[in-house]
Amino acid sequence: MKLELHRLSIKSLKFGDNTGFKDGTLTVNKAELLEMISEDPLLGKNIDVDIAMPGEKTRIIPVKDVIEPRWKIEGSGQVFPGMVSDVETVGEGKTLVLSGCAVLTAGKIVRFQEGIIDMSGPGADYTPYSKTCNVVLVLEPSDPNMDKHDYEKACRIAGLKAAAYLAKSCAEADSESEIETYEYADIKTGMNSLPELPKVGYLYMLQTQGLLHDTYLYGVDVKRILPTIISPLEVMDGAIVSGNCVSACDKNSTYSHQNNPVIADMLKRHGKDFNFVACIVTNENVTLADKRRSSSYATKLAHMLGLDGIVITEEGFGNPDADLIMNCWKAERYGIKTALLTDEYAGQDGASQSLADSCPEGNACVTAGNANEVIHLPAMEKVIGYAEEANVIAGGWNGSLSEDGSITVELQAITGSTSELGYTKLGAYTL
Amino acid sequence: MYKLITNNPELHHDVKNSELIEGSALDVLIHVRSLVHLGSHLLTHPLCGNLRPNHQPFRSILIDEKNGLADLDSLSLIEEAVRIYQSCMIITPEELDSSTRNDYAYIDSELMRESLGQYGMMKDANINAAPLLLLKKEVLN
Repeated sequence: MKLELHRLSIKSLKFGDNTGFKDGTLTVNKAELLEMISEDPLLGKNIDVDIAMPGEKTRIIPVKDVIEPRWKIEGSGQVFPGMVSDVETVGEGKTLVLSGCAVLTAGKIVRFQEGIIDMSGPGADYTPYSKTCNVVLVLEPSDPNMDKHDYEKACRIAGLKAAAYLAKSCAEADSESEIETYEYADIKTGMNSLPELPKVGYLYMLQTQGLLHDTYLYGVDVKRILPTIISPLEVMDGAIVSGNCVSACDKNSTYSHQNNPVIADMLKRHGKDFNFVACIVTNENVTLADKRRSSSYATKLAHMLGLDGIVITEEGFGNPDADLIMNCWKAERYGIKTALLTDEYAGQDGASQSLADSCPEGNACVTAGNANEVIHLPAMEKVIGYAEEANVIAGGWNGSLSEDGSITVELQAITGSTSELGYTKLGAYTL
Repeated sequence: MYKLITNNPELHHDVKNSELIEGSALDVLIHVRSLVHLGSHLLTHPLCGNLRPNHQPFRSILIDEKNGLADLDSLSLIEEAVRIYQSCMIITPEELDSSTRNDYAYIDSELMRESLGQYGMMKDANINAAPLLLLKKEVLN
């Protein structure tokens, strides 16, 4: 499989008559975009589209999901399969990417489960989405008493539709894009051509606990799957979509799935340091029987593939820590070495135990930071959304929002601040 | 016999066999621990997904209630959960305004609904899946 990402570099955003790309600027026809989103009868009349640029004194709150605009210009299927496109398999051909641009969905769903993005100031350093040119959809349900499942879906689809629409509208500018090529050989070819290299896989844990804790694979609710194997390239075309609004810091946004750095780095090192055999997708369900079933099945797949090692990324925390740890020790007992990527909830003083579960086999663990660290976010000149939500979102508390408009919260409240895919701006690097 | 132990009144009313604890999430955990000591098995994990103890006042745990020797896996999970809840500040339903409390109760209910359905525990038959056929040790003996 070969996938070319055609990256159009977006440097600025503006509203205008025709949606399209010219000289680094993405022009958005606001009325057309609003009309397309408003087609959904579940969304209300007072929805809006706004723009937020890096460096601006703008706060966006509460943020549900972040999506990178992409559109397939060649190859089978279309972006976000099973969601806003047909279910055909993706991951091959050419995909146009509006690099440096993101669609944000904002609005109240279940109030405490959404996040903050500051476009400047200290909070901006903690979220990668302060560095993107953001098209913000401020959404509301058509009926305030609407079932939350329905409204979550409407918000999810609106964001995906907007992202696909923006990229599709720039397809004519493809000749200006920079091309990044990813190749992934089938398992047999990889095994034959790289017999001397260790065989390594990626166990991709997805949050799947229920309303606002769900993730979709080709439109299928992942809590209902047995662990399965996908090509890492499929993820880049939006095969995995977030329906998640759990703690903002470590929910994997659709954007971070599309740009999963674990997959990108493993593909870069494939054929040099190891043979990247496959990506195994698994879930994080609520019952202990499901946890046991999925961890046993996912690690069995790793064993059947003859893997020597596996990278495991978690999503969320609390009882998903149990899934992470089961995946770890079950893989290790097959003789498969594991490296875990997670974040920590070690209390505001950092002194508490970081994970809710542990095992002796989990001796190679990478952290994305302590989500309980407290940060003060100064007031911004502009707020897109509802500032008062700071008092109720996870990581905030009653009184988080001061009269002067500043906010004191744990990092937990900042979208993507401790991403367990490692899609963050802060980290340690080996020089 | 499957049984829900919860301090969430909203969920309590929707479930076939449920015991309502009038107290905090920690009170739920401690009561479940006592039942585990008497031989009950945990069917759901005692910790929430993605909410710290100080961010979720409600706790609902599904058990298979029975008498006998303590199940060591269940005991280990519930002891660890109690330790975590005792080590940090918790919030109680009473200290929240009704709108926030309703959101927490709703999320707790929603996250349990799937599991309760799997075990045939919901009163609303439309959302009941077939109960799980888990082979019990006593069947083998």
